[in-house]
Amino acid sequence: MKDLPTSVLNSRLTLLSDEKCQMIYDAALTIIAEIGMTLPHAKARDILVNGAGATVAANDVVKIPRDAVAAARDTIPEMIHVYDRNGELAMQLGGYNSFFGTGSDLMSIYDFETRERRQSVLADIGRMAHLCDGLPNIDFIMSAAHPHDVAAYASYLESFRAMVSHTTKPMVMTAAGVDDLEVMWKIACELRGGAEELRAKPYFIQYGEPVSPLQHAPEVLDKLLFCADWGIPLIYSPAPIAGATAPITHAGHIVQAVAESLFGVVIHQLRKPGSPLLTGMGPVKLDMNTVQALYNSAEYYTTYLGITEMAKWMDIPNWGYAGTSDSQCVDANAGLDIAELTLLSMQAGSNLNHDIGYLDFGLTGAGESVVITDEVISLNRRTLEGIEVNEETLGLETIAQVGQGGDFLGAKHTKRHVRALQWRPTILNRNTQKNWEADGSPDLTEKAHRKLTDIMASHKPEPLSAEMKAKIDSMVDAFVAAGK
Amino acid sequence: MSDELYAQMKQTVIDGEAEEAAALAQQGLDAGLPPGEILDKGFVKGIEEVGDLFGKGEFFLPELVQGAEAMKAAVAVLQPAIDAAGGARRTLGVAVAGTVAGDIHEIGKTIVCSMLSAAGFTVSDVGCDVPVESFVQKVKETHADLLLLSALLTTTMPNQQKTIEALKAAGLRDSVKVMIGGAPTTRAWADEIGADGYAEDAIEAVVTAKSILGVG
Repeated sequence: MKDLPTSVLNSRLTLLSDEKCQMIYDAALTIIAEIGMTLPHAKARDILVNGAGATVAANDVVKIPRDAVAAARDTIPEMIHVYDRNGELAMQLGGYNSFFGTGSDLMSIYDFETRERRQSVLADIGRMAHLCDGLPNIDFIMSAAHPHDVAAYASYLESFRAMVSHTTKPMVMTAAGVDDLEVMWKIACELRGGAEELRAKPYFIQYGEPVSPLQHAPEVLDKLLFCADWGIPLIYSPAPIAGATAPITHAGHIVQAVAESLFGVVIHQLRKPGSPLLTGMGPVKLDMNTVQALYNSAEYYTTYLGITEMAKWMDIPNWGYAGTSDSQCVDANAGLDIAELTLLSMQAGSNLNHDIGYLDFGLTGAGESVVITDEVISLNRRTLEGIEVNEETLGLETIAQVGQGGDFLGAKHTKRHVRALQWRPTILNRNTQKNWEADGSPDLTEKAHRKLTDIMASHKPEPLSAEMKAKIDSMVDAFVAAGK
Repeated sequence: MSDELYAQMKQTVIDGEAEEAAALAQQGLDAGLPPGEILDKGFVKGIEEVGDLFGKGEFFLPELVQGAEAMKAAVAVLQPAIDAAGGARRTLGVAVAGTVAGDIHEIGKTIVCSMLSAAGFTVSDVGCDVPVESFVQKVKETHADLLLLSALLTTTMPNQQKTIEALKAAGLRDSVKVMIGGAPTTRAWADEIGADGYAEDAIEAVVTAKSILGVG
């Protein structure tokens, strides 16, 4: 089994003190216990009333006593192990470990061949999965593209089929409702050999979000309960927009998100204590001049670091971000955004980081962005790997041998360590001017495109067995044929 | 039997094991194998492989340098026997390299020496802070085909020019090609002082050396 990139950081980027975390947490409990949230779901209300002594007011507004939140936090697993299609351990979500993947459902994509922006289709999902399968630092995938050529009710399940067919990497799924989610789960059970086998080795994670401010949608709650029942790891993470659907201040933005997540956590843990769950927040900032919901801005990063720190403080695995840009194309602007957010995620120890490849405020995707982010992750995983200090690495023996004025190129010590110590880029420039010009003077985007083209041509994702493919096709086809 | 020994010799250069290379060279001589053949069928195959792997990006610089060191150790053992047999070792050329007077920066020059050795040149590294007369003396003594002058300071660059002038004065300029290099130097400076070649890095140095000598 390969070594997973678990964190060795001794210190972390931190913006909150223990006292501030406690203040935010207490304020979140006040929202849950005294302000309440809309819960238009009878079963979920019953669970809270019977299990936690919650009260239900008019308009389905539910308030949960403070101590029920503490009880729920006690039963959430601190670490979630996720396995790939073949059952190999692929991610350990928790602590300060950082794993990375794409985002979902982008409306447009830069075509892999023509490089023109166009509406995304089902085939793009398979292509993105194929690309990610060939990128060693992409740990999981989401659909990346919305299939405009598929009927809406079937779009998520068709995305699932395209993803499972083009990569062995684990997946984070979105679903229309519990019906298509159930088919995804059944397929995953087939791959593992049973429901309990899948519970022991989760293959996919389900994404769900509360609706800010302070509302929980019925279809999302259906999925939440289904995931709790079957041990499908669930992300319950809102995307409140600062100044629009949440307070504009960092602390207010964070406290509302913590409250919205924890409200779902209580339902989830009462339904099945110990079921795996991640919290987080899309720390969306509305640019009040251009009226765009930003993925990359100073205030976004600040709030993001705050919510991530809160998850650590609460000992709950977290859902985070990486590799996004608000640029319109893969340019230097995108490179800067990608590098900054990705490094911040690692420094904060954010666990499950998605949306790699996002451009244009989460509307357009680019494979070249994913390739560049893969390189950024590789660079920073190595950078933050730590420093081994022992007799051999201190090198006193070789320093004595070389002495004054010699060189270490001929030293055995150098040769022993050079291969393990040298990080090698795949697309960052290491060429001299002359060689770079001879290569056609490519910029980073061009290099990323060349690598993308090479992976699509030469990397062959491990195919499903014919038998498994037939099973999956029959399950998906039956759902699609039933219509909606 | 000898094929197996040649294979070991090749491998020892790839592994960069200088002591083992010297021992194998001696073992070959003791077994009565012709020294020229030991070199060509054994060690040279190794250094060719090292150069090839480096060119493909599969070998790192310390591995190249240590391969060249192993090669040098083997040649040191074999050379007397080759001389005694009256044969000259086949080489792309004899090169003398050093950092000019007043300058103790040597790592770049050392890398160039290793790369030239790995490429098949016979290299005499005369070190750093080398007086003009010492370069002239060494060129004369080794019948060098190529002299490489490194300077890392704008204040020592003039000594590259002085060395070329001294070669002329000694009547050696027509028998030896001169290359210069070092961070502050440029192709324009090389032209100005009448050098035959210039390279901005070690890889280009090998290409340039082969080109101006018309070999390889």
